[in-house]
Amino acid sequence: MTRSLVIPADLGEGVEVRVLLWYKAEGERIGEGDAILEFETDKAIVVVTARQGGVLRRCFAPAGEWLGAGQVAAWVSDGADDPLPGDRGAPAEALLAAFETT
Amino acid sequence: MSRLFFREALARAMAEEMDRDPRIVLLGQDIAEHGGSYGETRGLFQRFGPARVRNTPVAEEGTVGIAAGAAAAGLRPMAFITYFDFLMLGLDPLVNYAAKLRFKSAGQLSAPLVVKTTAGAKGQGPTHAQALEAWLMGVPGLTVVTPSTSADAYGLLKTALRAPGPVVFIDHKRLFPLGGEVPEGEVLVPFGSAAVRREGRDVTVVAHSHMSVLAGQAAEALAREGVEVESVDLRSLWPIDWDTLAASARRTGRVLIVEEGQTVCGVGAELGFHLRELVPEIEVARLGARRAPVSSSPALEGYVIPDARRIAGAVRDLLRRPRREREVAR
Repeated sequence: MTRSLVIPADLGEGVEVRVLLWYKAEGERIGEGDAILEFETDKAIVVVTARQGGVLRRCFAPAGEWLGAGQVAAWVSDGADDPLPGDRGAPAEALLAAFETT
Repeated sequence: MSRLFFREALARAMAEEMDRDPRIVLLGQDIAEHGGSYGETRGLFQRFGPARVRNTPVAEEGTVGIAAGAAAAGLRPMAFITYFDFLMLGLDPLVNYAAKLRFKSAGQLSAPLVVKTTAGAKGQGPTHAQALEAWLMGVPGLTVVTPSTSADAYGLLKTALRAPGPVVFIDHKRLFPLGGEVPEGEVLVPFGSAAVRREGRDVTVVAHSHMSVLAGQAAEALAREGVEVESVDLRSLWPIDWDTLAASARRTGRVLIVEEGQTVCGVGAELGFHLRELVPEIEVARLGARRAPVSSSPALEGYVIPDARRIAGAVRDLLRRPRREREVAR
C-alpha cells in the first residue's frame, strides 16, 4: 500500500511552505519515529516525523522548492515495489506523521 | 526570479537600501534581536548593528515623532507600527508634522520617512485588525502604498526608501504566509502605478492588498461561469493610477471596487466617484466590510470582511444591472 505525505491543509488556503531538507532519499526505508522532511512556513521551521514506517518512493519537491497547504509532498509505500498511484492528486490514504515546530 | 516569502522580500529591500544609503535607520517594536513582529527584519540587526536597527518601546507617537524629527534632521528613518490600529497614536507627528513639513518650510525641509504598518483581519479582533488606509488618502503630502505580492513589497519598499517625503507602507497579515516570485535584479515599482493582474472584457474588479488575492480567486471562479473579469491591483492608494483605472473602465463598462475596510468614505467611494467623472457611462459598485467592528470570532470576522464568494456575488449583481448608455448619462 502507498500512502501520501500531505502538507497540512489547516495551515490555511493558499499558504505556501518552502522545503528545506529531506532526511531520506527516494528508495530509502523510513522507520517509525524517523524524521522525513523539514519545511519552512513564514513563521516557523517544521520537522515532519513518521508515525508509521515504509519506503520513501517519491519526493515531489526537492529542497528549495515550494509546496502548498494540502499538497502531496511524498509517497511512502509498505514495500519497495508496491504500485504507485496514477498521479499525485489521486486519492490515497494519508501517512501518519507528526508535524513539530522547532 | 526567486520565490520569497513576503517578509523575505521586505528584508531584501531593506538590506539592499541600507547598504546603498547609510542614512537609513529602522525604529520599531521587536525589530532588533527578535527580527520583527512578522520576521521581516530578521538578520538586519546582526548585519547593520544597534545604531541602525533600534528597538523602541510600545509608544507609537514617540516612535513616529522621533522618526519624523530624525527625517527632518537628515536621516531616512523607517518606523515600524506592528498593527495599523496603533498608527492612530502616531497620526499627529505623521499628519501634522511630517506630511506638512515641505509645505510649511517652502521646500527647505523635508521628512523622508517610511512608516511601515500591517493592516487586516486574521483573528486578532476589534483593535488589532482594522484596514484604515482610506483615512490617509486625503492627507496632502502623504504617499500611501499597499503591496499584495512579494515582488511589489520589494519594489515599492525600495521606492519608498528613496522617496522625498513621508510614505505609509501598508501590508497585511494574510500576505505574510504567501510566497511570490521576485526578480533577481533591482526592479523598483514606481508610485502611482496599478497592475492589471488579469485581463477580461466583462467587468473590472479593482482591489488592493489582500483583497487583490481574493479578487483573483473570485475571477477564477467567475471564469468557470464564462464571466471574464479584469483584475486591477491598485498598489498605490496615493497617488492613484487613474489612467490604468479609466482605461479598464472604458473597456469593460462596469467597475467593482473591493476593500477590506468600511465603504463609507472608503477607497471605493473616492475611486468610484472620480471614475464616473472620468468615464461617465460606466456602472460602479463597491464592496467592503459590513458596518461592524472586526470580531475575534472567526465566524463573525468572516461575516464582516469580504471574501472571494462575496466578491463574485457582487460581480454577478453588477452584471445584472442594465448597461448605462452614453446618451442617458450625459
